Amino acid sequence: MREITKYYVESGVLANDRVSLEVKDNEIHALIGENGAGKSTLMKILYGLERADSGKILFRGKQVSITSPRDANALGIGMVQQHFRLIPQYTVTENVILGIEPTKRRILLDKGRARREVSAIAKKFSLNIDCSAPVGDLSVGQMQIVEIMKLLYRKASFLILDEPTSVLTRQEIDNLFGILKSFKKQGKTIVLITHKLDEVSEISERVTVLRHGKRVAVRDTSDTNPSELSRLMIGREVALHVERPELARGKPVYRLESITLREKGRNVPLLDRVTIEVHQHEIVGVAGVSGNGLSELEDVASGLRKVTEGHIFHNEEEITNLTSIELREMGLAYVPADRLFRGSSLQSSVTENMIICNHHYFIKRGILNGKKISQFVRELTEKYSIMGEPDVPIGTLSGGNIQKVILARELSSDTDFIIFAEPTWGLDVSSSEFVYRKIIELRSEGAGILLISSNLDEVMALSDTIVVMYKGRVVMYSENKPSLTKELIGEYMLGLRDDFREVQSVKDSRGVQS
Amino acid sequence: MKLGAGRSEFFINFIAILITLSIAFVAVIVLIFLLSSQPIDTIYYFFIGPFTNRYYLGNMLNTSIPLIFTGLGIAIAFKSSVFNLGGEGQVYAAALVTTVICLALPTANGYFGGTLALAGAALTGSFLAGLSGYFRMKWGTDELISSYLLSASIIMVVNYFITGPLNDPTNNLLATKLIGSQYFLLKIMPPSKLDIGIFIAIATAVVAFFFMYHTHAGYEMRMCGLNREFSRYGGIDTARYLILPMLISGLLHGLAGGFIVLGTYHKAIKEFSFGMGWNGIAVALIARNNPLAVIPAAFFFAYLDAGAKAAMLHSDVTFEIAAIVQAIIYYLVTAKVIYRFIRYRKRVINA
Amino acid sequence: MHSPYSIPVLHNTIRIMTPFLFAAIGGLFTELAGMLNIALEGLMLIGAFFSVIFTAFTGNLFLGLTLGILSSVLVALIFGWISLYLKANIFITGLATNLLAPGLTTVLAFQIFGNKGVIRFENIPNLTHITIPIIRRIPLLNDILSGHNFLVYLSWLTVIIAAIVIYETPFGLRLRATGLNPRAIESYGLKPRRIQLAAILISGFTCGLGGSMLSLEMGAFVPNLTAGRGWIALVAIYLGSKRPLGIVIASFVFALTESISNYVQGITSVPADFILATPYMVTLLAMIGWSVWQYYRAKE
Repeated sequence: MREITKYYVESGVLANDRVSLEVKDNEIHALIGENGAGKSTLMKILYGLERADSGKILFRGKQVSITSPRDANALGIGMVQQHFRLIPQYTVTENVILGIEPTKRRILLDKGRARREVSAIAKKFSLNIDCSAPVGDLSVGQMQIVEIMKLLYRKASFLILDEPTSVLTRQEIDNLFGILKSFKKQGKTIVLITHKLDEVSEISERVTVLRHGKRVAVRDTSDTNPSELSRLMIGREVALHVERPELARGKPVYRLESITLREKGRNVPLLDRVTIEVHQHEIVGVAGVSGNGLSELEDVASGLRKVTEGHIFHNEEEITNLTSIELREMGLAYVPADRLFRGSSLQSSVTENMIICNHHYFIKRGILNGKKISQFVRELTEKYSIMGEPDVPIGTLSGGNIQKVILARELSSDTDFIIFAEPTWGLDVSSSEFVYRKIIELRSEGAGILLISSNLDEVMALSDTIVVMYKGRVVMYSENKPSLTKELIGEYMLGLRDDFREVQSVKDSRGVQS
Repeated sequence: MKLGAGRSEFFINFIAILITLSIAFVAVIVLIFLLSSQPIDTIYYFFIGPFTNRYYLGNMLNTSIPLIFTGLGIAIAFKSSVFNLGGEGQVYAAALVTTVICLALPTANGYFGGTLALAGAALTGSFLAGLSGYFRMKWGTDELISSYLLSASIIMVVNYFITGPLNDPTNNLLATKLIGSQYFLLKIMPPSKLDIGIFIAIATAVVAFFFMYHTHAGYEMRMCGLNREFSRYGGIDTARYLILPMLISGLLHGLAGGFIVLGTYHKAIKEFSFGMGWNGIAVALIARNNPLAVIPAAFFFAYLDAGAKAAMLHSDVTFEIAAIVQAIIYYLVTAKVIYRFIRYRKRVINA
Repeated sequence: MHSPYSIPVLHNTIRIMTPFLFAAIGGLFTELAGMLNIALEGLMLIGAFFSVIFTAFTGNLFLGLTLGILSSVLVALIFGWISLYLKANIFITGLATNLLAPGLTTVLAFQIFGNKGVIRFENIPNLTHITIPIIRRIPLLNDILSGHNFLVYLSWLTVIIAAIVIYETPFGLRLRATGLNPRAIESYGLKPRRIQLAAILISGFTCGLGGSMLSLEMGAFVPNLTAGRGWIALVAIYLGSKRPLGIVIASFVFALTESISNYVQGITSVPADFILATPYMVTLLAMIGWSVWQYYRAKE
């Protein structure tokens, strides 16, 4: 790809600024950069999902024009996007064949042939998957494999994978990399978009670094090292290290006691006797692979979903199954994972978003006090240095600024207990740092914090206590200590270990009732 | 402080509506050239006719009274993302109730009985719309379809009362008896039918605006309308805002029915309110669901209506061309392409 | 039902069911493609008007029917194009279609015949009535199912074809996928809007057939001939759980109600207006009952 430029008119972002990328035949090429560096945009252009404003694409020496994924497929280019594009209600086979279905008598679906062809692919590349299962029932790692099968079915020889490992466990990543290496042996070319540097050295042969929409370097992987790449990516050395002052934890502020959540038509509970306790000056980090109960825990802890069994206490007062209205009145603060839909109303103004949970303070005889509201919003905008006028729709702000609005709002009233769910998902480094500082600050001030995150680095860097969830159960509950390695936690996250008893004793000694 | 969208949004909305209406007017002219044998005269009557004398002008403004009420009723429901498609039946049933109350109190004081009659109208509308809101809140029944079906069956029932038990046998019209003259609203532009209801309608729009943008309930209702999940998360009782907008919407439709009886017809006539519910939707769409903008939007629709009537009286086209023009407005009024075009132009000009 | 009237009532039910069935099957395509298509009503009216007009003008039933259906497909094309390509709210454009249909038909009727009321045509050929050979020997079934016009049988055929298209063809697979996850469809290199437009055109086609049945049967056009049938068809789609067979059952129930009320109208003194209201009331009650059932089923 030569000199590709892409400008997003709607958001005014110059996503790619004369970026070039050369990928050699039959290599595994890593494309790295921070969030927003333009990696995905560049690859979407190559796959025909976006159009470049200028620049050209040469494929096997010839200039090509790719205006849709169909064109890309015709050239043998396939892409797995970061967010899966699957139909959960359809089976694996149906998902794979959609778009180029085998037919009989020219008009009817040939379901038998579809099944045979898809199983043949699974067999050929030794992919362990049940082709007649609905995709919605699969694990995230298996969905990833279905996405790859889609490409193989389309006879792709040039595969693009956008952040394929972001939702996978260590073991699933190993499995995926094994598959990718076998693809290379069969002559396929792979571009891997990532921002994890260890993966670059683990699997790629060459690496291209993007920063702020520009290409800053191309290296042979063997000639470089993670710290150089990190410098190139960010412009300075950063490690995810958060200063967490030693603090004795105080009295318990929030307790989930043996919470079970069932859904009709499912035999397995979504949450199975989950017990978690949060104290003053304590950050409890809950880690897990998505689909193992993290988002359900978020819903239950914030009162947006009723529990089937179990109790919730706040300062020894039972709050089980109170509505979110009542919880708000008690001072619950909650920064949701889904911040674009649950955490904000994109078409409403910044002001309207800022007063959603506290507009009661500005009401006198049913009428809103406009003056007080503007003053309140002005103060918070300054305190959090939010870039955006109070009366513009919040949807026009950047992701980091939207998260700041949410933080400003949630932390504006005194609270002793806060839920943070995926607080830095999709944010750039400086915004993430801001969020981390804020969380640590709250801890110092004496709040109890429940941090729910699928980003294990984040959980390990911030938490005083680490909880791991697998299939809706707490499979590990331990103080954050050096002996807890990433690998060990990863094994719990994937359900490879279930020897929680030794950790149980730690938990008992800490006075948690179960 | 100003809640709601900023000034530039307002500007874009305004231009978009202007473009839509211009296209509609071009369509009127094309239609008239296609259908009329004396197109120039017809166009004159259509566009200028309503302004040629006091009588036409007053009647045009009079037509806008129920439109302001129904437009407000729809705008408030739409702002809350609740859909009331039962306006037709609500207006019609409320008109009947108004008539019945007035007929039941032939000698009461005009102010007392009139207020009572309007209250009855408001309650009727609220009840009918509220039922759909209640079903939605309780069991998730789609209020869009249920309000339509309820309205369609209520219309038949009202027809029965007007043509059956309440019919005035001394008159050939399919209508009830005339209500007592103490209930007639004061005419303000004789010889036209325009009455003081216009002031009440405008005042209602101002109140509705204040309610939506400056009160507790209005804020929560709008937030629920834009994003129900967000509102629930923020601690708002979202179930309440499935039924409250319906109640208010029905109340305003009911008032529309009450005012046409007290102000214009002084009795209930079979099918006399037809189209007022649907036109309310058009008015709300043109007003972008802004209560204050409902006033000019209702005037515009009254103008379209008066123009079509004048053209029909003085020329050879039928009144229904107004429906075609209305359809064209409906087709284009939400088209996002028009917005993108304006935003693009604006950026080019600013750059 | 053992009264001597039960057979004519059921025979009529089969006839009355046809327009519902046509509209609901077309609506099923748009529903599965993820669109709320309230324009069924207007599309039916367009089909009803133009097929009777063109039949009268050409004197040829099939030519008239074809042109009538083409008209409703054309209106569906406008409706779909504006909704999908000009990105207008499909609910509002649906209302527009429902407003355009009576407006356009009345204006044209007035322009052509100088009359806004009922327009009768003397030269409309009778619809061919068909006797089904296989069941001729079976007395009861023959009386109920046989002897209808060809459009009735065509509607049955349409249901079967629709079921095959939806569940057994690539188009059906893509159509349902569009309704489930339109963004996924794009990444497959498919164009969701094109699939949705196709669904709208199909609904235009079947609504045209359903409308034609209403007008050709009478040899006349009556203002607001469809009288809410498109809306009832929409409810039939939901009550039929978005499946062809379910839709057949729901349509049958609605048609049965109408057939019974027609019959009751003939023999009792219940006011006609109340009887006219029953199909709406029954549809409303069925819809409420259905959502109550769904509600408690989800709750256990």
